[in-house]
Amino acid sequence: MVDPANTPLGKMLLEEITPVVMVLCTPLVEESCLKNGLSFVQMLSPFCDFTNIDVPVRTASDQPYRLHKFKIRLFYASDIRQPNLEVAKERLKQVITKAGEDDFPEIYSDLPQVNDLLSRHESEILPTWFQFFNKELVRTLSFSDHEAFDHPVACLLVVSSRDEESINRFIDLFNTNKLPSFLSDGAMDPKVLKHYLLVHDNQDGASEKATKILTEMRSTFGPNDCQLLCINSSQDGQTRHKDTPWSTFIKNLMQELSSKHIIPYMEQKIRLLNQQVSSTRKGFRNQFKNLWWRKGKEDALDTTNGPVYTFSSIESQIRVLGDYAFMLRDYELAVSSYRLISTDYKLDKAWKRYAGVQEMIGLTYFMLDQSRKEAEYCMENAFNTYLKLGSAVQQNATRCGLWWIEMLKTRNQIKEAATVYFRICGEDLLHSAVMLEQASFCYLLSKPPMLHKYGFHLVLSGDHYKKCDQIKHAIRTYRNAVSVYRGTTWNLIKDRVHFHIGQWYASLGMYDVAVTHMLEILASSHQSKTSQELFLRDFLHIVQKTGKTFEVLKLQLPVINISSLKVIFEDHRTYASPAAASIKEGVWRSLEEDMIPSLSAKSNWLDVQSKLIPRKYKESNICVAGEANSSNVEPQNDEYKTSTSTGYVWLLSTYMYNAYIYICLYVLMCVYVFTIILSFGRDINSSLVLLEVDFSLEGGETILVQLTVTPRVEGVLTIVGVKWKLSSSVVGLHNFESNSVNKRIAKGRRKPKHSPSADLKFIVIKSLPRLQGFIPSLPEKTYAGDLRHLVLELNNQSKFPVKNLKMKISNPRFLNAGNQSYLNVEFSACLEKKLNVEQSGGHANAKKMLQNVFHFPEDISVQEETSLSWPLWFHAAVPGNISLYITVYYEMENVSSIMKFRTLRMHYNLNFALTFAIYVLPSLDVSFELSPCPSRLEEFLLRMDVVNKTSSECFQIHQLSSVGQQWDVSLLQPVDSILPSQSLFAGQVLSCFFMLKYHRKSSTSEDSNPLFLQSDVRLGPPGNSEALFDVCSSPLADFHDYERLYQGMSCQGNVDFVFITQLWRGNIDSGAPHRPLLFSHHVCHSSLSSFSPISWSVDGPRTIQHNFSASPCGVNLKMTINNSSDAASSVHVKTFDPPSSNSQSIDATASQSGLPLENQAGWFSIPAVNDTKVITTDALAKRITKSVSLESAPQFIWTGSSSTKLKLQPRATAEVPLQICVFAPGIYDLSNYALNWNLAPIEESQGEANKSSGECQGYPYYLTVLQST
Amino acid sequence: MTTAACFIIASRNDIPIYEAEVGSAAKREDAAQLPQFILQAALDIVQDLAWTTSAMILKTIDKFNDLVVSVYVTDDHTRFMLLHDSRSDDGIKSFFQEVHELYIKSLLNPLYLPGSRITSSHFDTKVGALARKYL
Repeated sequence: MVDPANTPLGKMLLEEITPVVMVLCTPLVEESCLKNGLSFVQMLSPFCDFTNIDVPVRTASDQPYRLHKFKIRLFYASDIRQPNLEVAKERLKQVITKAGEDDFPEIYSDLPQVNDLLSRHESEILPTWFQFFNKELVRTLSFSDHEAFDHPVACLLVVSSRDEESINRFIDLFNTNKLPSFLSDGAMDPKVLKHYLLVHDNQDGASEKATKILTEMRSTFGPNDCQLLCINSSQDGQTRHKDTPWSTFIKNLMQELSSKHIIPYMEQKIRLLNQQVSSTRKGFRNQFKNLWWRKGKEDALDTTNGPVYTFSSIESQIRVLGDYAFMLRDYELAVSSYRLISTDYKLDKAWKRYAGVQEMIGLTYFMLDQSRKEAEYCMENAFNTYLKLGSAVQQNATRCGLWWIEMLKTRNQIKEAATVYFRICGEDLLHSAVMLEQASFCYLLSKPPMLHKYGFHLVLSGDHYKKCDQIKHAIRTYRNAVSVYRGTTWNLIKDRVHFHIGQWYASLGMYDVAVTHMLEILASSHQSKTSQELFLRDFLHIVQKTGKTFEVLKLQLPVINISSLKVIFEDHRTYASPAAASIKEGVWRSLEEDMIPSLSAKSNWLDVQSKLIPRKYKESNICVAGEANSSNVEPQNDEYKTSTSTGYVWLLSTYMYNAYIYICLYVLMCVYVFTIILSFGRDINSSLVLLEVDFSLEGGETILVQLTVTPRVEGVLTIVGVKWKLSSSVVGLHNFESNSVNKRIAKGRRKPKHSPSADLKFIVIKSLPRLQGFIPSLPEKTYAGDLRHLVLELNNQSKFPVKNLKMKISNPRFLNAGNQSYLNVEFSACLEKKLNVEQSGGHANAKKMLQNVFHFPEDISVQEETSLSWPLWFHAAVPGNISLYITVYYEMENVSSIMKFRTLRMHYNLNFALTFAIYVLPSLDVSFELSPCPSRLEEFLLRMDVVNKTSSECFQIHQLSSVGQQWDVSLLQPVDSILPSQSLFAGQVLSCFFMLKYHRKSSTSEDSNPLFLQSDVRLGPPGNSEALFDVCSSPLADFHDYERLYQGMSCQGNVDFVFITQLWRGNIDSGAPHRPLLFSHHVCHSSLSSFSPISWSVDGPRTIQHNFSASPCGVNLKMTINNSSDAASSVHVKTFDPPSSNSQSIDATASQSGLPLENQAGWFSIPAVNDTKVITTDALAKRITKSVSLESAPQFIWTGSSSTKLKLQPRATAEVPLQICVFAPGIYDLSNYALNWNLAPIEESQGEANKSSGECQGYPYYLTVLQST
Repeated sequence: MTTAACFIIASRNDIPIYEAEVGSAAKREDAAQLPQFILQAALDIVQDLAWTTSAMILKTIDKFNDLVVSVYVTDDHTRFMLLHDSRSDDGIKSFFQEVHELYIKSLLNPLYLPGSRITSSHFDTKVGALARKYL
């Protein structure tokens, strides 16, 4: 532990609590001294501080000790009084103001860094004026009456040798009324040590007169108490002495005064007082007496000051004893005296004195360097007591606090010191501000540093300074606070600090700095609207005052969502609309895969590029320049790069765009209108190209800004950044490139191949043709099944023709390229069936379907400044939203460029409510059901169910067609009987039956004139002459092929149907109100596969007349077996004679029918439906059965081979001859045979669901044999 | 009844992840930032204290004029800081504990990144209800 005397507090105490010498001098003395520019006290003061006086001292104890350091304070008697509080405050204020001017930081100096502060030494951080201020503050308390250490110990009476009647002057001096008040009012013993000094000015003449007076004085006042001081020995007042002979003289004078007069006087006084105190207060008896006596005084007035103590009272004497002992470093004696008196004061409720004594006890303990806790406790006690007394003793509290703080600091309790500083703060704002600032430094210096507290107290201090108009101090503290709160996420704090410091700088006229701070708070979305408005208003106000235009890199208003920035450009890829540009590149890639010359097209292209373009731009993007002198022209046919953001609103017309930057700007603030300019730079001609967009943002609004760049000449184009102007004077600046670079570094260069900055650099190449594509009158909303004729318009406005056009459509089910011949035909008429039309579409369709690429004919090219129209077919195949991607490939003619081809990408995203939205509504629900006709070979009954699912539309049914020229369709009953109006109203259900017959094309190919082929059924009114539509030619056939593809697996034996209706009322799409809309519904793969692949029929005579008397009757029958499967099959026909007559019972025949039981629910054939003798059959059969059972012998037998095996090729038919022999007339059921069939497995294509083998019982075949007569 | 002024959850990195005005203390527009200042300054003290005790709740660790700061430190050193102007220890304790439960629930949300701002309105409503109940 350091010696307490060497600590700051120790030094302070040794300086401040020292004996006071009162100086009384005549005006002539002063006059003499003032010749040197000094007052008398000023002249002597430097010699009052003795570092090594080395005087032996003996106080109360018998043990003497030596005093080394000693100091006396000299004061004029007139100064020995309590300083005027107002004057003192004014002086302190001046101190602070001056310090504020001196300490005010340079405007452009950097903000202090916290880490930097921490690394520096305490003395460098703390402003030096703190100490001075504290000292001054303590001094405002001098000469209070309750503390004896400021009471003069001695009185120095000074008279000049020029004074007349010197001796009388000495006496007069002490008797004047100028003496301090507490000498006269009894607070202090007026009998003080007196010392007489005669001052002789050598310029006034020789010192003989002085010597004479001195002798006189010595005889009057005693020989030891008188001294002579000669000054101004230099004759002309000009001579400068290197050595100062007079200094030793004065020093000796003062030393003699101290060691021979003051110290012995104090010793003596201490001994005297100690003796008195011992006799009256020490010992048990005295204490008891004292207590008793105090108790009796309880009714004394309870004022804050307590009772008045005169110098003769024992309390005052003890206090004097303590103070003298303290001043002479006898701390033991001092502390015992203080303790003795502190209880007295407490009992007397003399709180101020009590606190003063407690304060001294603490200090004495500190000087003794023992019982630290006690010392702190005493200080706290004193402090609290002062605080309780209120504002009257605020100064005392402050002084006590400052001492306490020093004590804590000495013991490294810096945090506690800070809290004491905080507690010192009283009503005086200015003092509080300084105290708070000191507290903040305590937090900074504590270990570990408490930065949050540091910042908080700085802010508090700054606020106090501000209230006292000490703006420079306020700014200084806030500057430090800003360094603490830099980057803080406590947003209210940040706002507060920046806002205030900004305001204050502005009030000093330092607008530039003010603006930098105000910028920080602009994006304060967490603040209330009023605060935001206040911030913005002040900000703009300050900016206005600067009279400058600011360019700010980090303008936070409005917020720019840089991540939404996207640059879209066109190289060989061009887009018909921004909607198309926003589609993912991968979608287009996959679409264009087989259209672009080769898969390595990209790399080839790059190879070419690297040859043509300087290497350093190799990774740059390419864009195509507009013509150099086309600046007056609308920028339509110039070439482009575009930038966009995700999620946007498309505002411009389709053809007007060239290159865009979409920037998402949004404002969190509530007010004001902004003008925002977005700028591009390009290093063509190394000039900046500015694009301006004016818009305003309301609070909380988000908008998307899009900018277009049209390069005019070849070169390199770089997008530099965006600028925007806020309220015409503040320009925000955002540099895209630097941002990208930063990001890249942050990523750690993991992707060195592709630098983001390259995305913003473009090589502008020569102008190239660019096709523009458009599909007019694409419906927005339609019903499923809608079939339309559309036109694709390709527009080439450049000076070069393009050729080799190809087109690919993402969803050919919906949109299909047509034949050029359809371009100008009238719709719906062109679809009608024509006579003698070659049916040759099939093969081409299949090919198209595979490739999905539509090649325009070789000779088609889009010449310069012309347009090309091409027919398209649209078919709304299924309900829902449709997304269509169309890409058109074309090559440039006669252009030597690195770009040989380009693509035009069109997109109709029908999910969007865009111009070309297509929303397909459900219309008709068509389903078919097929049931085979058992007794007929390859005949089916077809049931069609149609439900109108629309809410209001009325469809006119027109036609049902089967596809593929293999099936005859005929109506089972006229439509009139089912649907007299031929109109299907909303919600109506229609069921309709048809007969479907397989038309064996292969065998009878020669007669298959399409005219006779009934593959279409007109469902309209009978008298309707409207032509049927041809489902076998484009586009219906094409769409049908796609439907087949989409509606499921293709397997053999299926039938496809096309159901065509018309909608007369054109209220869906107003395009063609007078023409019917055509709807085609395709139902594919109506399956036959659930039936047996083998079908057969038995042909033969039905009725035979035979004379049985001659011979049994032999009947020849023919069985035709058809294999409808795609596999070869082996069929085994077995005939067997009826084992018993019962088995022939007709009742049993039903169950033996070849029909599966489950199909009986539907429709099954009634045997011999065209037999004229149907009615008799039952009766006959019964009779026959009866007769058969009676005879118990078979009436007929199968003759010929009982079992026939044969192989059937796929889709082949074979005939098997059968023969029976009938022995008696009757009606016979020839169903007792069975077919076993076996399909040869076909590898891979055979579905598992199909049966590979089976057995079928024979159908009933009734043969009537009559006895011929 | 305590009139609490402000409740803040500060993450381990001293970043406020949740702020709420609780209680019935009259809000002064000019001193809106004061609670933040006080609570942030109290972080320094929490920093020291949290390692010296095993208790989660640190009562009345700091004060500013008549405002008192109580802090609840969770296992992951997330600090629940309550600025209030009188003491009702039981209520504050229960409040902290229940908020802790809520906080753990929000931690369990797989979409919540620990240490990020709590934006759940449900959390907000619940804290408000707890504040009315206990403070």
